[in-house]
Amino acid sequence: MTATSTNDRPSTAIKPKYLGFGLGLRPQHYSDILDGDPPIEWFEAISENYMVAGGQPLRMLERIRERYPIVLHGVSMSIASTTPFDPGYLPHLKSLADRFEPEFVSDHLCWTGVHGVNLHDLLPVPYTQEALYHVCARIQKVQDTLKRPLALENVSTYVQFGHSEMPEWEFIAEMTKRTGCWLVFDVNNVFVSAFNHDTSALDFINGIPADRVVQFHLAGHEHATTHIIDTHDAMVCDEVWELYRAALKRFGPVSTIIERDDDIPPLADMVTELGKARDLAADVLGPAASVR
Amino acid sequence: MTKNAPPTLAELQDLFQTAILKADDSILDLIPGNSRTSHDVLLGVYRHGYAARLIGIVRHEHPGLVAYLGDDLADEVIAAYLAEHPSQSTNARWVPNGLPEYLATAVLTAEQPEIAELALLERALNDAFDAEDAAVLELSGLAAIPPEQWVDLAFVAHASARRLNFATNAHAIWGALNREEAPPAPARFDPPEPLLVWRREMTSMVRVLSREEAMLWDEAARGVAFGALCEMAAVYDDPDNAALRVAGYLQGWILGGALTTATLTPKTAAPRPLASA
Repeated sequence: MTATSTNDRPSTAIKPKYLGFGLGLRPQHYSDILDGDPPIEWFEAISENYMVAGGQPLRMLERIRERYPIVLHGVSMSIASTTPFDPGYLPHLKSLADRFEPEFVSDHLCWTGVHGVNLHDLLPVPYTQEALYHVCARIQKVQDTLKRPLALENVSTYVQFGHSEMPEWEFIAEMTKRTGCWLVFDVNNVFVSAFNHDTSALDFINGIPADRVVQFHLAGHEHATTHIIDTHDAMVCDEVWELYRAALKRFGPVSTIIERDDDIPPLADMVTELGKARDLAADVLGPAASVR
Repeated sequence: MTKNAPPTLAELQDLFQTAILKADDSILDLIPGNSRTSHDVLLGVYRHGYAARLIGIVRHEHPGLVAYLGDDLADEVIAAYLAEHPSQSTNARWVPNGLPEYLATAVLTAEQPEIAELALLERALNDAFDAEDAAVLELSGLAAIPPEQWVDLAFVAHASARRLNFATNAHAIWGALNREEAPPAPARFDPPEPLLVWRREMTSMVRVLSREEAMLWDEAARGVAFGALCEMAAVYDDPDNAALRVAGYLQGWILGGALTTATLTPKTAAPRPLASA
């Protein structure tokens, strides 16, 4: 089966390849990446940062793409919104993906606003059959438009809804079963949401279909005692490293990045932290953790 | 939403967005707390996060404005802007797009027009930064054109180029803040100060133009040919060296990377583009 089947719908039957250990691409690191040869195997680029007409962002992504595999990771698809997609968004994303040929395109299982407003946040979804049906229909539309596989990431949430009909992991498992979409498994977000909702992160890990996870995210957060805020502005904490170990045992070798969105340290520090992920994966998986 | 029935997804999203934008608490009926804290504390993470994130986005795009106003007033002004202009863009980069116009009329800032112009300059520089790419015109691209044809030579401005006329010294204020120096006292200009903003390679540029150069740039950017530009310059100032002055401006625009194409536009023929670099 080829990447595009005869009816011109995107095939999600071919799993995106294992890329090893990467970083979220941040402009602060452009020159260190391009002027050096850091031990980083791939980059995840924020799609919207490059959905611009021209100039430095696209030039830098071009140069980085010449040397590294990339994944395009969006924050504004708003897959669960009940407002129709922004008319320009998916065509622009397709154009970007066609130009840079990412291993896959990803976004978040969330909504970012309704009635034309964008709150620029990853807002929580009620885990109901209605929401599941709605999200699945929107995923199909995205995959039909992009003509390439979509992966969705679990987000950190601070509230849940009393009328949810199933746990988050059951919703996600059913979503991927119905649509064939892939999953970005954010280990930090699982930890944050489990703490905030008094649920079990291990139940989450065990509830996700092992063969659908194509990427791990690792990140830091801020502990507010009664709840945890997902700030992505700190180093990965010990508990999340332990959860990463459990995720590796269940999901096997999965492309991994460390993601920092604020208080971004020098590239060398990020590389050091990435080395910890690499060592931990080697410890759990042995040679399978290496990119062949 | 009927009484006691769970909300539809659309109803829930409407309630949730209203809770964030309008501080309405109706959504709390649908949200349990956790074992350690209440539902309003948990919802507050979204409310606080929204305000902090959006203000942070605007501050990032307008560092000069923030430096000029100071942190507290900048946050107050930005929050007021966001309350009237919730983002409608999928790209956070465009969140402050309406800010200069807002500042020009807002109660807190309208009396100091340099504030709106400072924001306008920063927006123009930001827009130039990621404007559409185009190969720029090189002087060598014009070398092969016979002198008698220069009269019909017209030019295309780079997509990043934007002309501004500032009624205040916002450009000087921005320059001082950019150098981390104390800004000059606000001043008004009549007639206004002409500026040209564009991108040279990967860097956004701004410079002050003379009034003659500004007039000629505006006409050139509209497609007026070199010969007509020289006639305008002859009327504007000393006719004896008008062609020389226009050639000088043109050279500056080309060396600065502000033009992309030269086109021969004889009155009897369709425009014929020349090679750009």
